[in-house]
Amino acid sequence: MSTTTWHADPNLLRAYVEGRLDAVLSASLERHVDACAHCRSQIGPLIEVPVLEEAWSGIRTGIESGRLPLLVRLAQRLGLPEPTGILLAATASLRLTWLTGGLVTLCFVTLASILADGAALWPFLLVAPLVPVLGVAVSYGPAEEPFEALTVTTPYGRARLIMVRTLAVLTLTLPAAALLGLTLPGPAWVAVAWLGPALAMIPLLLALASLTGPRLAASLLSLGWTGLVLFAARDLPSTWPVEGTQQVAYLTLALLAAAFLWVRSQRTQQIGVAL
Amino acid sequence: MNVQLTGVAKSYGGTPALQDIDLEIGTGVTGLLGPNGAGKTTLLRIIATSIAPDRGKVRLLGHDPHRGHAELVAARRRLGYLPQELGYPADMSTFGFVEYLAVLKEWNDRRARQQEVRRVLGLVDLADLAGKRVSKLSGGQRRRVGLAQALLGDPALLVLDEPTTGLDPAQRATLRRTLSVAARQSSVLLSTHQTEDVAALCERVVVLAAGRIRFDGTVLDLVRSAEGQVWHTEEEVPGAAISWRTGSGRHRVVGGDPPPGAEPAEPTLEDAYLLMLGPEAVTPLPA
Repeated sequence: MSTTTWHADPNLLRAYVEGRLDAVLSASLERHVDACAHCRSQIGPLIEVPVLEEAWSGIRTGIESGRLPLLVRLAQRLGLPEPTGILLAATASLRLTWLTGGLVTLCFVTLASILADGAALWPFLLVAPLVPVLGVAVSYGPAEEPFEALTVTTPYGRARLIMVRTLAVLTLTLPAAALLGLTLPGPAWVAVAWLGPALAMIPLLLALASLTGPRLAASLLSLGWTGLVLFAARDLPSTWPVEGTQQVAYLTLALLAAAFLWVRSQRTQQIGVAL
Repeated sequence: MNVQLTGVAKSYGGTPALQDIDLEIGTGVTGLLGPNGAGKTTLLRIIATSIAPDRGKVRLLGHDPHRGHAELVAARRRLGYLPQELGYPADMSTFGFVEYLAVLKEWNDRRARQQEVRRVLGLVDLADLAGKRVSKLSGGQRRRVGLAQALLGDPALLVLDEPTTGLDPAQRATLRRTLSVAARQSSVLLSTHQTEDVAALCERVVVLAAGRIRFDGTVLDLVRSAEGQVWHTEEEVPGAAISWRTGSGRHRVVGGDPPPGAEPAEPTLEDAYLLMLGPEAVTPLPA
């Protein structure tokens, strides 16, 4: 084409730029413009500056903001709002290390309990309900979150950020833990029953964390739960920690913790204190 | 008035950090000057809604942030804050960091948000470093990243805790330009312990010492308060509370009785500031 003296009509070029040509004509024109310096120089001025700026801005943003982690991109496909994705992508708890660690521990305990031929349910009951608790504690971020002083003064607020992270952690850990629970020895209902204390411990953790900070709160809860499970393992049935009466106690504690959090968030005017 | 504080007090573990603070701030740049430990950061944190006072009333941008969540959020929507110590996550890009904070400031539309992030990075001359990791930037560049996030959305109230730390003279000049543009529409409140910053940046100055306001007025008024109390002498004056040897070899004496043979000198903002804080502001040299 470069040897021809034919050049595209300005109206044709304009129609192309404005997207009014059909696919065949567009493709044909593109081949010509690729080879014809004259037509290339004619088409440049027809493209509006805002359109170019938008394209360039898109390219720059792609490079400058970096890609979101795979998990967040997957979650966005499932309907997670884009801004929430950005908040979660910056969360330390979404990094693979602790997640892998938690799942490996779960697998290990489950395997151990299977090998023990149903006699040792307690290792699973000890670890599984604590996995979400530790995950949520981690979702508070590092001990001194580098820009927490700023986060608390934003309209979004720290409390909401922690809730969003908590939900993300639960969405990630609970299904995996529940699947592992299905492989447990003993009565089938145990596979679901351990979720009772696991979920009850979340409001307890948030309430305690508002008084002591997330790390001490998670440690206290872990110690308390370990004590309970080990006490039951000595001479009570192995399913005792997740039986009916105990479940009612967990639920009561969870409701009390939630009420405490609510009252505290209404009373306190201090920011970032409720959570 | 964008900021109204009445009888504000705050203490930490029984030690008072602020006492009886009454302060009103309209548009323009106000400098908060005071020695370390005077309560500047505590006051700025209260105005930035980071902490609540123990006593007193706070009104920000027509809202009472301590009356409820809705009022608090309404005030925060029009507030920009640069804390004194701002940590930066190791693995975030400059753009990513500012964008993260833009999301927390409710810039939910992706295109508008990214345009705004680019705009504020341009304001602090960091547009070309947007893709660089924050951890790889110099101290002054990081301080400017902090400033960029505070400028998101042209806040009506800009609270900057020691914004000039780590900036070289050219960067200070840029900061001055940026703030003077912002101050046409907004209230800018910045803290510093350097009198040059106040002289260069602020129309109004508030001197804070030991948790109380010691002076509140124009920079010129503060300078004038030292008139007739600054001298030059050829020899060192024994017993002078505030005096030092200047570059010209003469001694500058601030406050007290005029020393014999002294020549009156034009006061500077620094003289006035030292005079206001009194001899306790100057640490005596070891004997």
